Amino acid sequence: MTVSVNGRQHELGRGETLAELLERLGVQARYALVERNGEPVEKSRYAEVVLESGDELVVARPVAGG
Amino acid sequence: MTHHEPDPLVIAGREFRSRLVTGTGKYDSFETMRDAVVASGCELVTVAVRRIDFEAPAEDITAFLPEDVLLLPNTSGAETAEEAVRAARLARAGGLPDWIKLEVIPDPRYLLPDPVETLRAAETLVEEGFTVLPYVLPDPVLQKRLEAVGCSTVMPLAAPIGSGRGLKLKDSIRIMVEQAEVPLVVDAGLGSPSHAAESMELGADAVLVNTAIARAGDPVVMARAFRLAVEAGREAYRAGLMEEQAEAEASSPLAGTL
Repeated sequence: MTVSVNGRQHELGRGETLAELLERLGVQARYALVERNGEPVEKSRYAEVVLESGDELVVARPVAGG
Repeated sequence: MTHHEPDPLVIAGREFRSRLVTGTGKYDSFETMRDAVVASGCELVTVAVRRIDFEAPAEDITAFLPEDVLLLPNTSGAETAEEAVRAARLARAGGLPDWIKLEVIPDPRYLLPDPVETLRAAETLVEEGFTVLPYVLPDPVLQKRLEAVGCSTVMPLAAPIGSGRGLKLKDSIRIMVEQAEVPLVVDAGLGSPSHAAESMELGADAVLVNTAIARAGDPVVMARAFRLAVEAGREAYRAGLMEEQAEAEASSPLAGTL
């Protein structure tokens, strides 16, 4: 089972949650901003969102800017 | 008015002691950025939102910002209203404040904002409960339209982003100051503290500065210089500037000269 994260394919375990995937990807930023299949995901739901094969995720964060 | 009467900047019901907003871009390091933010005294700082590059781990900018500073995510990179709305929704869902610096910029050369797309995005974002601070050309008609849809500030550019050219569009900004119903923030193009002071003397409610601080010889000292200039300009505006005269008017008595 694979999902796309920022355009790259990642293998997933069945039942893996968004929070688990972020941790595996080493995303420790205080703010990880996630879009799943074009819809923003509330931060409070990261631990309960179970990913599905074919999901397309965008993972962003705040960076320096004006 | 007395010397010590509080004079807060109020945006969407939130009070700020400082009338200087700073951007976090273009610094050589996050440490310098942090020190400059502290020296500037600002309480509202902009950040951008970008995809994480998992191949190039980077430090978390938010860890370098003082706790009492409000983060203002921007929609930079958006060329359409839809892209700006997408960025704002992503930022809010992910835990950033629901304040958004709305910028919709299709033009890469002068980085001028698209007024039509900005207004469209503003309408949607206000409806969705965001506190919207749009970056615009100094257009007094657009200002009224943005106020009418519920924007919390209007932020006209003084000159193109990063140009450091100062108040090139002063006459339009003057009209906007006169008719402003929400705080007017001069955003972009200010190159020196004197430009910031000039904006404040004109009656702007605040200024937003990034490049002029980040790219200064010593950004931390320059941040303090901007803080002082903004305070000086604001005090001057409150005090009331003298009327310009076409001819000289002696400051010393004309009678009894030796």
